[in-house]
Amino acid sequence: MRSSILTKWSGAITVVVRGGDIEGFINEVNAAGIHIWDIKPNNDRKMELCMKVDSFFALRPLLKRTGCRVSVKERFGLPFMLLRLWRRKWFAAGFILFAAVLFSLTRMVWDIEVTGNDKIAKQDILLAAKEEGLYPFQWTFALPSQDKLSAGLSRKLKGISWVGVSRTGTKVHIQIVEATEPEKKLVSPSHLVSKADGVITFIYAEKGQPEVKKHDRVKKGQILVSGYQGGKAVVSKGQIRANVWHEYNIEVPLIRKQNVFTGEEKERGYLYFGRTAIQLTGYGNAGFESSRVTTEFDPLTWRSFKLPIGWMSEKIQETAVLEFKLSEEKAAADGIERAKEDILAKNGADTTILNQKILHEKTDNGKVYMKVLFEVEQSIAEELPIVYDQGE
Amino acid sequence: MSRMIRKIRKWTVEALDLPNDLVFDLPRLTWVGGKQLYIENHRGIVHFSPEALHLRTKEGTLEVYGSGLLIREIMPEEIVVEGKINGINYREAEGSS
Repeated sequence: MRSSILTKWSGAITVVVRGGDIEGFINEVNAAGIHIWDIKPNNDRKMELCMKVDSFFALRPLLKRTGCRVSVKERFGLPFMLLRLWRRKWFAAGFILFAAVLFSLTRMVWDIEVTGNDKIAKQDILLAAKEEGLYPFQWTFALPSQDKLSAGLSRKLKGISWVGVSRTGTKVHIQIVEATEPEKKLVSPSHLVSKADGVITFIYAEKGQPEVKKHDRVKKGQILVSGYQGGKAVVSKGQIRANVWHEYNIEVPLIRKQNVFTGEEKERGYLYFGRTAIQLTGYGNAGFESSRVTTEFDPLTWRSFKLPIGWMSEKIQETAVLEFKLSEEKAAADGIERAKEDILAKNGADTTILNQKILHEKTDNGKVYMKVLFEVEQSIAEELPIVYDQGE
Repeated sequence: MSRMIRKIRKWTVEALDLPNDLVFDLPRLTWVGGKQLYIENHRGIVHFSPEALHLRTKEGTLEVYGSGLLIREIMPEEIVVEGKINGINYREAEGSS
């Protein structure tokens, strides 16, 4: 039986037989075992029939015997397709070449992207990558594996804690995490000098030559611990505490103003889309002379993703100014308290206030003016680098 | 084939109830509607036109009438005819028993 795929594969032809004894011809063909099918007679003593290509030349002796003639009408199947293709071989070659070029171009590294480098130049990284076999216009299948590349790069580059190499299509991404190096501390030789006038209460020199003793009176800028120890310049280190006097001019108003909420409030509700909000509730003027507005957004969320649509509520709270009147004693105490806080803030938490003396106090224009002297024990050491004589 | 053998064959067919087409190479036809006709045990084409197909058989001529006839398939013993088939005529040749 005839199988269409097989005949397509081996190629078949339709021939027209004319003249002579056509029936005899068909019988002969049949007897010779040549496979023919679809025999279609015409009225004018012609017949069309299909056959395989390879048996076409076997017809010759049969034709001679029966006095028939054949002409090929149609060709179909793979061999003829190939033949047609062969005629268009340059077109086909061009097509194949195009596909091959396109394919090979997608198999190349076109771009190398470097991210995460701050201190290391991109050029250095690319150079190191090139030594590892990763450079533009390199075949991607010729690249070493990504973990090998990463390992090689991190070996070659200094000051790097991690390198990641990833490839997406024709793009290679080198991600770098630079090592954070510890900051270098200033270790130039220095003195310890006083930062205020005072009387030393405690001195301990861990390094360097102490220049003052306990109960010594020192001036601001005086060297307390010298950086020259045994003829060598060292970094002085130590703890020096002293009694220091601080004078404060304090000014405290007797009337204090304070903003308070009256408890009156009004709410407005809005529906918002992106940057546009439409008011839905709380129309009308609140009628507050002074007020504070608190805005709250409540966006629609999907999992942890906030949508740009949601509800916005505004709370308008009425405020009023309240006035307190302070007594003079209370005002003075407040002023001193504030001065003490200032001393602690400026001189460190280990400062202790030993004594306080009000030198002068007067009330004028609704304010209390005071001059207070504080006696304070605090650390007074300050580093001063030793500057060598550099000459001209 | 000698008369003796033919007689024995005839007797076997009758005795064993065998189909005639197998033993005597007589044509066997399968006609599917008016469209397709399988003919087995033919002995070659005598005449073929769109309107008629004459086939030689062992003991005569088989004539197929119709319009637009074509031979879909032809093999040494079998033939498949397609087209609009109107009639079949079987003519026994003179001289054969």
